[in-house]
Amino acid sequence: MKKIATLSVVVLTMSLAFVSCDSKREPGKIYMPDMTYSRAYETYAEIDSSLFTGDQSMRGSSKIYYDNKPVTGTIKRGELFPYTLPNDSNGYKMSAMVKNPLDSISAADLKEAGRLFNINCAICHGEKGAGNGPISTSGKIGGIANLTLDNYIKMADGTMFHSITYGKNNMGSYASQLDRNQRWMMVKYIRTLQPKPASATDSTKTK
Amino acid sequence: MLILCQYPTLLLLPKKGNFPPYTVNCMSRFRISLNKALISFLLVFIFSASNQVFAADGEALFKANCANCHKPDADYTGPALKGWSKRVPNPEWIYKWVANPAQMIASDAYAKALFEKWKPTVMTAFGNLKKDEVDAILKYVDDYTPPVAAQAGANGASSGESDNSLLFGILTLVMAVVAFILLQVNSNLRKLTDEKEGIYRTEPIPFYRNKTYIMTMILILFAVGGYYTISGAIGLGRMKNYQPVQPIYYSHKVHAGTNQISCLYCHGSAQDSKHAGIPSVNVCMNCHMAIKEYKGDPIVREDGTNVNGTEEIQKLYKYAGWNPDTKSYNPDNNGDGTPDGAQPISWVKIHNLPDHVYFNHSQHVKVGKQQCQTCHGNIQEMPEVYQFSTLSMGWCINCHRESKVDFYNKESGEGNKFYSIYEKFHKDLKDHKVDSITVEKIGGTECQKCHY
Repeated sequence: MKKIATLSVVVLTMSLAFVSCDSKREPGKIYMPDMTYSRAYETYAEIDSSLFTGDQSMRGSSKIYYDNKPVTGTIKRGELFPYTLPNDSNGYKMSAMVKNPLDSISAADLKEAGRLFNINCAICHGEKGAGNGPISTSGKIGGIANLTLDNYIKMADGTMFHSITYGKNNMGSYASQLDRNQRWMMVKYIRTLQPKPASATDSTKTK
Repeated sequence: MLILCQYPTLLLLPKKGNFPPYTVNCMSRFRISLNKALISFLLVFIFSASNQVFAADGEALFKANCANCHKPDADYTGPALKGWSKRVPNPEWIYKWVANPAQMIASDAYAKALFEKWKPTVMTAFGNLKKDEVDAILKYVDDYTPPVAAQAGANGASSGESDNSLLFGILTLVMAVVAFILLQVNSNLRKLTDEKEGIYRTEPIPFYRNKTYIMTMILILFAVGGYYTISGAIGLGRMKNYQPVQPIYYSHKVHAGTNQISCLYCHGSAQDSKHAGIPSVNVCMNCHMAIKEYKGDPIVREDGTNVNGTEEIQKLYKYAGWNPDTKSYNPDNNGDGTPDGAQPISWVKIHNLPDHVYFNHSQHVKVGKQQCQTCHGNIQEMPEVYQFSTLSMGWCINCHRESKVDFYNKESGEGNKFYSIYEKFHKDLKDHKVDSITVEKIGGTECQKCHY
């Protein structure tokens, strides 16, 4: 009799132990923590910051390292050289002289550029670049550039690149979302969205 | 507007070009009449154009020229324009200012004060705007009334999915007790009838020592306890429906649903790296430099309280070290490379895989061309994100058994070149021995694919 009572109590507590704490706000239980939590430093893991900064006063604190930037001055293989013009009005003026390092763009690259344009730019500028993306038509951000207008057709490639790199007016910098090559590809792609210059005199600019 | 003005002239020029051989041979009378015709044509054109655009559409003019920096009813990069006439020294001032702000700042006291307030930004000169165009813009600005946000559909929180299992549990228990009592009554009655009829039976065993009862109880306990124990043990390390409280009430429904922002706009590293990546704060600020307040449909929490969207955006500004009043980042006085007061947002990671599993987002997003929603559910409809899939091994394997491989097609040049090494499969496909190859067939369910 007693045996049965103890057995049932054991079974009940075991099932309760597994079932309880079923709040969706708490992460579930895990077994074998060694196999669950990484010993290596994982992205976004909170880490004792003294390991990184050498600042011993920070010992034991945990910070999240979002942007472990590469060593200053290093360039990824195949990556274009850094863009050196500063983010000021002078740099903006000078950017007109910077040439697009991509002479021609392959059909596959153009397709990829179009894909990236639709992800990053079309949300405001619209899929055809006419300044009528969802954010623009809903009026959340005003004055979004219609890239098919004359002043953007006349705008130099370098200036366009400069604006994508540093942002302009209400537009933020896209340097963190698109690398240099992708940004130049984007300029090429925008050119394909623009109508051909209206008269022969305008076609002196890079097409 | 500028373009509209330019195009007619462009259109006219070639027409004019046709005339010179003719006019040269003619008398001056002809030339004059020709000029007259041209001028009147031009006038008619401008008149009709102004009918279409200039007079009627102050809104279009405003959006094309001013909306970059001005809002009618709120301060932006420049001041709110509504009620301008009460502020400027005289009505003529505004035309001079629009034509050449820099000169006005140098010469006019009110203009100088204005510049001091909004510096370092100087308004761009709009010398090309005619007086009636400026009038149209100003009229639009003064008549502007903000659109009223739709309040309909506010009570989106559904209570339809109430859980009935508790009710059924209680009912079952009550029924069991009733059945038990009835059984007891039954045995007592039988005892009474037996006594009446003089049949002698041994004293019945009380129920708690009745072997049948005990056995049934044990079996039930074993079944129920075993079920919960096993399902609990399987659930260890699985966090389906996990929905932690995040530091900012960020609604994917508003961003990915209503505003149709692509998942990859913020989680761009999903196509290049193992991690889908949490966007850095500057990506948020791409839009939120301009969007300072939430005006959409009310967001309702599960407990029925409303989320104050504008307050949540203010939280973002705090994390970013952004001052919405001056529209600039705080200066970096402590030299840590970020604006003072800025700090990373400690989002709580929802989708956790144990360390002994390797999962790479880029493999699935870029190569496998899987939609985010396949694993994460309809994120664009979730105000608060929760874990949609179990992320269990069986769940992974199932998908690998079903997903078709996108082979490289030499003729069309489409598909994944990596798989061109599987020539045999290619041949089989061509010979119609099989109609598709799943991920499993190319080793997608081998242990080392994910565990190494």
